[in-house]
Amino acid sequence: MSLQSIEARLERCLLQVEKPGRYVGGEYNSVVKDWDSIDIKVALAFPDIYDLGMSNLGIMNLYNQINLQNNMLAERVFSPWLDMESIMRQQDIPLYALESKRPVSEFDLLGISLPYEQLYTNALNLIDLAGMPILSRDRDERYPLVIAGGHACFNPEPMADFIDAFVIGEGEEIIVEIAAKIGETRGLPRHEQLREIAKIQGMYVPQFYDVEYHDDGTVRSITPNEPNLPERILKRIVITLPQPFTKFIVPNIDTVHNRAPIEIMRGCTRGCRFCHAGMVTRPVRERPVDEIMAAIDEIVQYTGFEEISLLSLSSSDYVWVEELAEAVNEAYGDAGLSLSLPSLRIESASADLLEKIGGTRRSGFTFAPEAATEKMRDLINKYVPDDQVIQTAKEVYSRGWRTIKFYFMIGHPEETLDDVQAIIDLCMRTLREGTKILGKKATLNVGVSTFIPKPHTPFQWVPQDTREQVEEKQALLKRQMRRGGMHLRWNDIDGSEFEGWLSRGDRRLGRVIRRAWESGCKFDAWQDQHKHGAWLQAFDDCNLIPDFYNYRERDLDEVFPWEHIDVGIHKKFLKQDYRMSIRRETRVDCRDKCFACGILPKFAKERSTTEDMAWECPPVTPISERRKAKPIAIPLSSIG
Amino acid sequence: MTHVSPVVQRLRITFGKSGPLKYTSNLDMAKIWERVLRRAGLPILYTRGFNTRPRIQLAMPLPLGITSECEILDIALRESIEIDAAMLTASLLRVAPHGLSIHAIDDVDLREGTVQSRIISAEYRIHFVDPLEAGVLQERIADILLRKTIVVEKVRKRKRSVMDLRPLIIGLRIDETGDLIAHLSVGERGNMRPDQLIEAMGLADYHHHAHRFKLHLLPK
Repeated sequence: MSLQSIEARLERCLLQVEKPGRYVGGEYNSVVKDWDSIDIKVALAFPDIYDLGMSNLGIMNLYNQINLQNNMLAERVFSPWLDMESIMRQQDIPLYALESKRPVSEFDLLGISLPYEQLYTNALNLIDLAGMPILSRDRDERYPLVIAGGHACFNPEPMADFIDAFVIGEGEEIIVEIAAKIGETRGLPRHEQLREIAKIQGMYVPQFYDVEYHDDGTVRSITPNEPNLPERILKRIVITLPQPFTKFIVPNIDTVHNRAPIEIMRGCTRGCRFCHAGMVTRPVRERPVDEIMAAIDEIVQYTGFEEISLLSLSSSDYVWVEELAEAVNEAYGDAGLSLSLPSLRIESASADLLEKIGGTRRSGFTFAPEAATEKMRDLINKYVPDDQVIQTAKEVYSRGWRTIKFYFMIGHPEETLDDVQAIIDLCMRTLREGTKILGKKATLNVGVSTFIPKPHTPFQWVPQDTREQVEEKQALLKRQMRRGGMHLRWNDIDGSEFEGWLSRGDRRLGRVIRRAWESGCKFDAWQDQHKHGAWLQAFDDCNLIPDFYNYRERDLDEVFPWEHIDVGIHKKFLKQDYRMSIRRETRVDCRDKCFACGILPKFAKERSTTEDMAWECPPVTPISERRKAKPIAIPLSSIG
Repeated sequence: MTHVSPVVQRLRITFGKSGPLKYTSNLDMAKIWERVLRRAGLPILYTRGFNTRPRIQLAMPLPLGITSECEILDIALRESIEIDAAMLTASLLRVAPHGLSIHAIDDVDLREGTVQSRIISAEYRIHFVDPLEAGVLQERIADILLRKTIVVEKVRKRKRSVMDLRPLIIGLRIDETGDLIAHLSVGERGNMRPDQLIEAMGLADYHHHAHRFKLHLLPK
């Protein structure tokens, strides 16, 4: 279909859909290059609606990296909402990119962002709307190469049937290498092209790996079927964080997070055992304060955003957090700019930090104690004593914040109803303190999510809580937390069960995902759209048992479906940490003591090229230096 | 306690919307302007309090899907600036999204009331992309102008009510290019949208563009 006809058809139908501004592009800072004079064209897709996708920092980073190249262009693609999809299918409007309105099928590369598993059916839907066969093996070189990346891809197997190649790890540098390689291999048969792609460090091409299973359904082996391929694909990292992106696209319509994010630090040294992000984003790399300050300046100037959030997995652990707060306060104290610093530790100092940084608009105070008994806190390796929680809450309420938000998790291994009761008790105590200070104005919002064991974490072996266990725990919470000033939120049980299947799923789940999509499943991240019954039916149709993925304890020596994906952490480290959790032993922040998780030997070369302070991992001293300093022990834990 | 208004200067910008911006609602348009003004570095005044907002105001909502060249934005400044309309226009356009145009920038007396209350009607040019048969438009105009009432049902906040659109049609004519020129009431005293007119004329199936080209104001 010609360009004019896509635009003409859109023009006729856009007023019939909700929020037509989602589908037209034209935003300030969007990059529209001359299509005919550019060699390599990349479509970057976030498989949910514009309103959500526009808040995704990952997509924006990649968009920037590609558009910085003279011979490349990147454009955005989002999932149309149901109303728009039905019009597109009716009117034969193929999936198009927002900048040029060109069909996605005319691009060289389609990159799909998969930060979480609930987007899988939408990814299939996008490929289909683009007019392409959904199975990788049915697409030859006439179609754009389809790649995917993002946190969910650390277990790529459930999506292996649909995606030609996965990016394992961080995308900022590799995306340009992939695009360049596609330019070089244009005209080659797809299979040949993929061989070249697989040579890029961090790329995983599923069709080059065979999976064999035991009779009980567990994986026997995963082996490359092409010569010269690594047994395990080591994730890609950037040695230092690239300059922060500041020319954010300013949407013409309201979006979910209508603000600009700056990543102040990547990775986390806390080692919470449930935390997928904390394991897969190692090593910890921090940005210097002046780089952040310069980025804030540029964002105000380039975008006019009134709100900027300073992102990391654990802001209080950012080494220069106080200097940063001070600098922000000095520069923007009264400039109509609002900054937010989420993920603060539960301690009084956090109130100081937020007060300084808070600017004009005080965002709420959010803390994540996760568990409320000593046993559970040791087990998950996140220790925050009750008194510290209460003390911090008192501090926050007494400085005039009316609302505190707490995050807890239920469903960790060995949790009993007593542990859940302790969550209730701690919340009650906190709110009572708030009421003493603010009277009825004090509110406590409590989010209790359901734990889902994730690959590459010390809890990858544990069974997920059954529906009955979760039901019982949630019932207790709902019964006892009905009280003025207290607002409880929890996860839908179907949704958690569904996320569990895909999180630790294997390649056979591709059939299930396809079947579910064929029977109308999409927008699974939307509770009101997720069709649990259709998924169960899809499992049944494919002769697979859903409970196999969620509710069995995995053998310590089981070969996992993600065994060939190397996030840089030794399996023996995870195993040891899992055993420690059973014995309720904890580990301190790894900045204080290196536990040899595996990152350093895997990335020794990279580490040796960086400044001491650039990573939180101890510096790697070249052997010649070490020989010189022989009498002194290598200061493995000297940093921090 | 004495209240001194912190407003140092007021500006009125007459602007236009076209292209992708026609799909931006009035509320979102205010946000776009807020950011354009901030990017341009204009010293806009913010409201006091917990949730501060810039003191800017769009005079008359433009229905979604309609382009315009006569929208009005009022701005309060916290510092006075010299108005060189041409230079100011250029510096705003440099940081404006695709589809935003600027037609005039005027100084407004600090004591002057709001402009909203003075807007009484608007003129639209409606171009039919799907061609109408000869004489059809003429015929429909004559028909609708002959009607005594045009009663439509309105659902607002789940309450049904009926209203008569006929008194809100001030004038209809065809211009030299064959487009329909509609002069309709807008504002609190009665508001009619072009799509309501086209519906009432029985022409909704013909694809068309509407463009607002003039707002009529009562004298100060």
